[in-house]
Parts: sequence; C-alpha cells; structure tokens
Amino acid sequence: MDARTSSATSSASRVGAARIGIGGPVGSGKTALIERLIPAFAARGVSLAIVTNDLVTAEDAERIRRSGLIDPARVAAVEAGACPHTVIREDPTLNIAAADDLEVLFPDVELILIESGGDNLASTFSLDLVDWWMFVIDVAGGDDIPRKKGPGVLKCDLLVVNKTDLAPYVGVDLEAMAAQAATARAGRPMALTNCRSNNGIDAIADRIVSDVLFR
Amino acid sequence: MSLSATNLLVALQHADGQFPSGGFAFSQGLEASSSLADRLGAFDFADFVDIQIRHRWADADRVALVRAFRLAGDLDALAELDSEVEASTFVEGLRLGSRRNGTALLTTHGRLGTKGATAYRGMVRNGSACGHLAVVQGLVWQALGLDEATAVAIGGYQMVASLATAAVRLGLIGAIDAQASMARALPAIEAAGSRPVADGEALRSFTPLCEIAVAMHGVSGQRLFSN
Repeated sequence: MDARTSSATSSASRVGAARIGIGGPVGSGKTALIERLIPAFAARGVSLAIVTNDLVTAEDAERIRRSGLIDPARVAAVEAGACPHTVIREDPTLNIAAADDLEVLFPDVELILIESGGDNLASTFSLDLVDWWMFVIDVAGGDDIPRKKGPGVLKCDLLVVNKTDLAPYVGVDLEAMAAQAATARAGRPMALTNCRSNNGIDAIADRIVSDVLFR
Repeated sequence: MSLSATNLLVALQHADGQFPSGGFAFSQGLEASSSLADRLGAFDFADFVDIQIRHRWADADRVALVRAFRLAGDLDALAELDSEVEASTFVEGLRLGSRRNGTALLTTHGRLGTKGATAYRGMVRNGSACGHLAVVQGLVWQALGLDEATAVAIGGYQMVASLATAAVRLGLIGAIDAQASMARALPAIEAAGSRPVADGEALRSFTPLCEIAVAMHGVSGQRLFSN
C-alpha cells in the first residue's frame, strides 16, 4: 500500500446532531448560560446533550448533572489535560469522541453543547468539532475586552456579554461596551445576557434554533 | 532501518505531536509520581522516562503494538489482543487512559478514512473491543503502509515526547531541558525497539511506584491530566 495516499486527505461529511461550542474566560458564565439554555431548548422541543471540559475537576459536569434540568447520562465530561484550548482547537479528538458517543447513546439528540474549560481571549473552536460557537465574556471582566479584539471575541458566531446587571457596580458603561463590541465584530451577532435573571436567553435559543437547526 | 522519502514523510506526519490523537490529556503517571514524591520517594524526570521505556513500553506497549501490526487489520484478533492489554494493565487510571487515548486516535483515523478505523471504533463503542492505544497504533500504522520497525519507532518516540510535553506543562522541566531529556532517551527507545518480538509474546510490565502513585492520585480529584 502506498503510505502517502492510503489515507484520505479530508474528512468525510458528518451526519448527526448539530454541535455548538461555548467558550470564554474563567468565570464569565458559560455553565450558567448552559443551565439557562437547557430549559429554553426543552421549551422549543430540542433534544439536547452536553459535553463539558473541566481542567482540574469534574465540577462543571457534576453541576449540570445535579441541576435536575437534564438526564445526567446526557452530560459527558472530558478532562482537558491542562490545556483547555488544545482540546477544542488543535486536538479536539477527545471531544469529538465524547460527542460521537452521546449521539449513539441518544439517537434522538439534535443538538450537542460543548462547553470549553475557561481560557483566554485567544481561544477558538475547531470546525472539526463544532458547527457554530459562542464566546462568553462578562462586564466584570473589564469593559476593555471587546477593544482587545482577541480571536475569541472576533471569530465566534455569537458574542455573549454576560452579567449585564453588574455594570453599574464595576464602573462599566454597558452601552459603550456593547457599541465597542459591535464595532470590533463589524456588526456580527452579539447578545447581552444576565443569566442569573434569565435575561437575553430566549433570544440566544431562538437564534440557535434558526441559524443552526434551520427551523 | 532505511526509509523511502515517502514513508519518512508519512512517519513524520504521524509522529508529530500536532497529529490529533488526544495524547496531550494524559501523563501516564508522571503527574501522580511527581506530585506524590514526598510520600513515594524522590522524583527525577530522567529516571521516570527511563523506567517507562524499559519496564513498561519495551515489554508491554511495544509488544502489543507489534502484535497488533502483524494482525494486519484482523479486527477480531485485534480485539482479543486488546483484552490482553486490558488484563495486563493493573491500575484503572492507566487502563482507562490507554483506552480513551486509543479511542481518540481511532476517531481521527476514522475521519481520515484510514482502513479499519471506523469499523474498530464501532467495536469499541459496542463493547466488543477495548481500544487500547498500542493496539490502535498497530492497526492504523499498518493500514497506512508503514513498516513494523518504523511503527515501533513512532510509538516509542510519541511515548517519550508525550511525557516531556506533560513535564513542561507541569513545570517540572523547561522546554529546552525537555529536548535534552528526549535526546538522552532516544538510544533507550532504539535499544528496546530492536529486540525481536515473538509471535504471541506475553505482555509484561513492572512499574509499581508509578502504579501506586496513579492509584492514589486518581481519587484526589485535583489533577491536570487524565492519568
């Protein structure tokens, strides 16, 4: 066999559930967003499964499993091996394998949410792994984040600015921050949320149902 | 060992740390051994690597890889060999890590269309095969048309490179020191790799301190690597 040509050079088309990435810095509210999206998708009749990436513990996966919002068997945890960006970008194989297994275990699954471990503004998702991805930042992390134009902020399909309720307490002009984010993203989609009070969640769920599931 | 340019390039591609294999998530007991040095005795990275080569890889993982390679895509026979690896890997953390790592490698090769990868992934998923890393390496590297000695060299190189990368990420050594450590380890890989493997040769390993460390570490809940 010719070793040079024995393997295809591009991956075959995949048929299965749509896969969505949720990335962003530590503490920005990625898990809280998922906890709000689970009932939002349930209300829209979307069958869901979740993969979490935890760095040191299984904290996020256990939090979602114990939430009572979803069958715990539909939540898979992938340990990221000290590199949260590697497992979603350079080498997403562990996440792909976890998502593949969820699809086989739950053939009705339409949507798989893949939550990255907390990372920096440069983290992005491989399109080998996801079809569409969000990047979650929060106002308490600093109103200069959009101006820094990290790849996470610029390249995601939807930028989520969370914890909007904290703006007045951390000296952030939310309107200006949103305007700077819109400028940095050249008008690409953005959402303002307060996961604690469920503000802005329905709009995200509707967008995903429309843009990803094509309903 | 003399390689054609074609096979050398294929070997470089598949030995490259950037090849998506899931290996970055595993430290093969390095994290556990280094973090438990106060309870299990002094830790030295070079010693750890040498022990892993001579007492784990040479007579267990390498033998499994060679036997898998010689099975030439016979998936049922590969599954039987996989069971031997399962039975001979005593500690759960190392056993599960090997299975997850092998499954990740199969996932990539399945998408690349490497012969046998998708079918064997299916067997792993339905429980009729374990998917241990060394077995999967033998399966896919044989399917790529590489020769047995090259496959062994890639396996040994990746094992040491994976340890070196993990050591850097754990802050045990610097990136340049890691390359010096690898250079010192290469002759040991070559020596171990040159020993003939008999058909049906048993899998043997003896790394008790590492295994104890992994067993203790596995329940700590505070670790960066999967094992």
